[in-house]
Amino acid sequence: TVFWTESCLFLFCVQVQCGDFPHLLVYGPSGAGKKTRIMCLLRELYGAGVEKLRIEHQSITAPSKKKIEISTIASNYHLEVNPSDAGNNDRVVIQELLKTVAQSQQLETSTQRDFKVVLLTEVDKLTKDAQHALRRTMEKYMATCRLILCCNSMSKIIAPIQSRCLAIRVPAPSTEDICHVLSSVCKKEGLTLPQELAQRLAEKSGRNLRKALLMCESCRVQQYPFTPDQDIPEMDWEVYLRETANAIVSQQTPQRLLEVRGRLYELLTHCIPPEIIMKGLLSELLNNCDGQLKGEVTHMAAFYEHRLQLGSKAIYHLEAFVAKFMAIYKKFMEDGLEDMMF
Amino acid sequence: MQAFLKGPSAISTKPPAAKERAAAGSSGEGKRLKPIPWVEKYRPKYVDEVAFQDEVVAVLKKSLEGADLPNLLFYGPPGTGKTSTILAAARELYGPELFRQRVLELNASDERGIQVIREKVKAFAQLTASGSRSDGKVCPPFKIVILDEADSMTSAAQAALRRTMEKESKTTRFCLICNYISRIIEPLTSRCSKFRFKPLSDKIQQQRLLDVSEKEHVKISGEAVSYLVKVSEGDLRKAITFLQSATRLTGGKEITEKIITEIAGVIPKETIDGLLSACQSSSFEKLETVAKNLINEGYAVAQLLNQLHDIVVESEDFTDKQKSAIVEKLAEVDKCLADGADEYLQLMSLCALVMQQLTQNI
Amino acid sequence: MFGFFCQVTGWLAHSFDDFFGNTNTSSSTVPVNALEGSTGRNQHQKKKDLSSLPASSKNKVLPRKRAKSSSVDLSCSRSRQNQSQSQDEPWVDKYKPATQNDLAVHKKKIEEVEAWLKMHIFQRQPKQGGFVLLLTGPPGCGKTATIQMLVKDLGIQVQEWTNPISLDFTKEDLKSIFGHDSNFHTFPSQAQAALFQDFLLRANKYNKLQMLGESSENDKKLILIEDIPNQFYRDPSSLHEILRRFVRTSRCPLIFIISDNFSGDSNQRLLFPKEILEELCISSISFKPVAPTNMMRVLNRIATIEATMNREKNYVPDRTSLESICRGCSGDIRSAINSLQFSSMKDCSLEDNFRSKKKGSSTLKCEAVVSKARKKNKSDTLEKQEMQAIGGKDASIFLFHALGKIIYCKREPLSESEFPQLPSHLSEYHRDTLLIQPEEIVEKSHMSGSMFNLYLHQNYVEFFANIDDVVRASEYLSTADVLCSNWNSRLVMEKYSASVATRGVIHSNTTRAFAQCQGGMGFRPLHKPQWFFINKKYQENCLAAKSLFSSFCLPPECLQTELLPYLAMLTNPMRNQAQIAFIQDVGRLPLKRHFGRLKLETLTDKDPGIPDLFVNYEGDLADVNAAETALQMEKTKPNENESDGFPLSSSQCSGSELPCSQPQPIAAQAIMEDDELKIEEYDTD
Repeated sequence: TVFWTESCLFLFCVQVQCGDFPHLLVYGPSGAGKKTRIMCLLRELYGAGVEKLRIEHQSITAPSKKKIEISTIASNYHLEVNPSDAGNNDRVVIQELLKTVAQSQQLETSTQRDFKVVLLTEVDKLTKDAQHALRRTMEKYMATCRLILCCNSMSKIIAPIQSRCLAIRVPAPSTEDICHVLSSVCKKEGLTLPQELAQRLAEKSGRNLRKALLMCESCRVQQYPFTPDQDIPEMDWEVYLRETANAIVSQQTPQRLLEVRGRLYELLTHCIPPEIIMKGLLSELLNNCDGQLKGEVTHMAAFYEHRLQLGSKAIYHLEAFVAKFMAIYKKFMEDGLEDMMF
Repeated sequence: MQAFLKGPSAISTKPPAAKERAAAGSSGEGKRLKPIPWVEKYRPKYVDEVAFQDEVVAVLKKSLEGADLPNLLFYGPPGTGKTSTILAAARELYGPELFRQRVLELNASDERGIQVIREKVKAFAQLTASGSRSDGKVCPPFKIVILDEADSMTSAAQAALRRTMEKESKTTRFCLICNYISRIIEPLTSRCSKFRFKPLSDKIQQQRLLDVSEKEHVKISGEAVSYLVKVSEGDLRKAITFLQSATRLTGGKEITEKIITEIAGVIPKETIDGLLSACQSSSFEKLETVAKNLINEGYAVAQLLNQLHDIVVESEDFTDKQKSAIVEKLAEVDKCLADGADEYLQLMSLCALVMQQLTQNI
Repeated sequence: MFGFFCQVTGWLAHSFDDFFGNTNTSSSTVPVNALEGSTGRNQHQKKKDLSSLPASSKNKVLPRKRAKSSSVDLSCSRSRQNQSQSQDEPWVDKYKPATQNDLAVHKKKIEEVEAWLKMHIFQRQPKQGGFVLLLTGPPGCGKTATIQMLVKDLGIQVQEWTNPISLDFTKEDLKSIFGHDSNFHTFPSQAQAALFQDFLLRANKYNKLQMLGESSENDKKLILIEDIPNQFYRDPSSLHEILRRFVRTSRCPLIFIISDNFSGDSNQRLLFPKEILEELCISSISFKPVAPTNMMRVLNRIATIEATMNREKNYVPDRTSLESICRGCSGDIRSAINSLQFSSMKDCSLEDNFRSKKKGSSTLKCEAVVSKARKKNKSDTLEKQEMQAIGGKDASIFLFHALGKIIYCKREPLSESEFPQLPSHLSEYHRDTLLIQPEEIVEKSHMSGSMFNLYLHQNYVEFFANIDDVVRASEYLSTADVLCSNWNSRLVMEKYSASVATRGVIHSNTTRAFAQCQGGMGFRPLHKPQWFFINKKYQENCLAAKSLFSSFCLPPECLQTELLPYLAMLTNPMRNQAQIAFIQDVGRLPLKRHFGRLKLETLTDKDPGIPDLFVNYEGDLADVNAAETALQMEKTKPNENESDGFPLSSSQCSGSELPCSQPQPIAAQAIMEDDELKIEEYDTD
């Protein structure tokens, strides 16, 4: 159930009332509640049956005879799949899976909607090739199934797909919304959440409801009853990243760079994606440097993150960014010292 | 997924599933309308109806009078009526019955490798075509193959097409449709008569949209229509699609600019203004907050680039030098985004540059 | 290549001659023959040349080994043949070192081996166990020659193991062997291993076993093994077992000779891992490639003798061509002598063909024959290259040295007048002349460019003193990575990528920019790249996370960066054991200031480069997948009973049955896949 109401939910409801909808493209930042809304929509369409989910592993044989394993989540009425799990074979997954769905037996028209729903998540992670395949598939199987595409960013979706779908933007909940949700969840759990703490949690979550709830739960583990000024536990990798940033700021030598490399490796082995490392590192480093530098450092981060996407081995680019920052920062500090002397 | 594929019949033996089916069935009864996309519904039926492309229409009409067509190459921005024109022309040539037999339309949603070009087109071209149609009217003794979005064909496929075009020239005419003529190989362009479709003027678009909304009984104000035209960037197909979506959403109520903004994913002007003023403030922290909010609201940075570009280019607050620096960065960011770079970082990089331009050069 | 071909065919002809010509002579099928004089070695020498070809796969190795042993069986009839063919005899055999002085091996090494032999043969305590010596080194560095020489000088009897063909060996078999390579695999290798064991024990037990009726008055004897049964490559532990028994019971020393190769599979590491070396007290002496001066000495000697003996038949190479031979063979004396012989030959029809095809390769005979001098108006450098192309050996270098060369980047001081100076605003980019060719080094390291870059990346930072230099170097490396990112153009770009990376790193290092300040770096250990390990771990963990927590239906990114770290902080009762372990492992990070936790694997000078991890990479991933699936299968059962948020009805969990119902690609799609292949056809019409 969704706790806060705004225009999108309303839009959804209208769609459902019509009993039919075009292909949907739901986009919005992580933790904004895209999936929640989609599930609401499906429930409106098919009733509670859509919540009976099964996790299944499928193997799809590509035309090149290569077997691709992918896991799906399905109810009797819909199928959820993340095609980007298949890596470079995402195109095959889209073509074969959708074909299977579309060609399989029709639902009984008297009792059901005469279409099936396929929910594709992380569409923005698809290769261009797969997106083109998707666009063809969308037209081909319009009669028997509806696609709901779910993604974080519209920028990475090719225009033909955008124009073939009704795009629904799901903005992240505002801090007030999050406060509200946190309070009501705590009430249901029989906990009392001080308003100040709720506010702090909401702010710290960066408008990410999932994160806010997880933080709240970890607060509960840490200390209950809540106090308004209690520490909000941070995730280990965030702390680790901050320590790394501090290490970078405190010393700028090749030796330190090697140490930082070790720490970057550590983060990678703990499943933190390189893009996230880059972003986290940037925000920590920005906190540590002066206004004039910030612009330059941001450019560097954007530059190397782009290269990271192009290249194949993330460490080169992460390390190049760190080295670059070290050099910029060192020069800045040295110039500052000189200014002080004279 | 097994159960999902087989449908409820496969699982009807299970009581809970059956119960649910009944529940679902009762709620989902009735009111099922199959909406045809308005884009198809309001496609021009006759060449005359094609909006705004007067020169093209004139030339086409002339060749239609002679009941003959050269090989055609239509190019121009999306939504300017290229496909509509050739479809209308074919309809006029063959009439509704023969139309299906005589026209092969291959658009990008079909697989179009070399093999398909060769076999499908060949098979189609080998069917003989007589010079008359059932209602007695004269009809040209050839068939038409329409290749939509020809610029997405590989050059190898295009090369293959070149040969086919010559071989089948007696019985078949080709019509290639593309956005960028530069992506069609020279030998192909030289074999076709080229027609350029110019972007539709705002007035024509507004007229069309008003026509459509009148026929569909859509309540929409004149301002909303002109906003719709602006948002769809000269693409009439997009505009009509937006109109249809908006109509379905509002469900009979009046369509407002707000809804159009929402559907088109356009970033509200206030948001962009906020971003620009944050850039002017020379406070990096403020900029960060605004940028984060923009991402959190779910707006696409690619969209922002488009809008920002228009604003910057038209703005009188910026010097030419600033404009050129900003626009260059826009281009760079666009490329990076296309390569899959992170939106937030690219946005921040862009904003940092704008800020630097605005605060330091004045 | 032509040279090789020549020899191969020549040799084949010989062995067939032997075989078919002398079928009546009682050729011994006992797979053991005494190593007396040069007869046995003839074959070996030539075969060794073959083995200097980079033969990476075992399939290629197999035929060679078989072929070799077949001819050895017949070797007793060879000496007569050799007499009549002495003119055609390869110089390698003709000019076998006769004294220790003739050996091109470094004196110290000879002494080392001699000391070992004396120690273990002459001063042996009667009750002591057997001793094993392991000789390693690149092919053609004189390992075998040294042993032979010392054995002769010290009067020690040698028993050598050679791989047998099958026991019931017939003529047809031989034919079929040469006809169909595939047959080789059908031979029972088990039997071979058993034979080997038998051989060792027999050689051990019957101390005076004499193969050729040769009387030997002493019991000074050693067992020489150059040819290791294939079985042991597959299963080194069986060799170790045999060796253990040998060491316990034997009475004479055992010497293994193993050639290093560059192509990746390190036999030495495989067959004799460190533990075994220690456990069995195996001494190990490793030979270096023959030094150029020694090589020149030997070549000169041969050239002079040849010049005096066979004036009418051979040309005399001049000093420069000797030097170029010397350079071209990278310390392989055997290959050097072979190319010397080849390049001095006058009337070889093959040669003439070759010459006529390759104009300008006549450098070597230019002095003797004027008639052919018309072709020699090519530049000197070109001639040298041609020379290398004829007889030269692929000058591979070990990764360790390749990396070292790049990182230490030797330079030569610039003479002022020679080159135009950079303008003053660019003077910071001024560098002394580089003495190395980075591209060449990368190529010789037998590694792909991107792989080499990884090694470089792992090691470059330690050689930099200035962070600004590191910035530039790291940027070059980043560029290099981007260059070979597109899989379409990767093969082409890898070279350029490596070039950008190596040259970038070299140029960036301002502390090593000038020849005079290049000293004082000292030795720093080189390491293997951690990236493979890290990347593998990252992917494994991501996969594991996905399969373990699939019930949360979260996109991977949220799962890894939000859910898992927080779950690690929560005490949630409904997780199963695997999940708890995973959360604790991955969700938690060591928060103390603790750097460099990851173990570095030092790169040694014999390492073949590609880490095992990478070799098995594909396979590993598949394994991981399989493991995950298996794990998931197991997990479904407990999951069904848990209230995991979703009511999972067990009867519908048909995940494992599904594959069979998957659609097969229809014909149209198959056709579509073929499109790419038919492009040419269309281009032509």
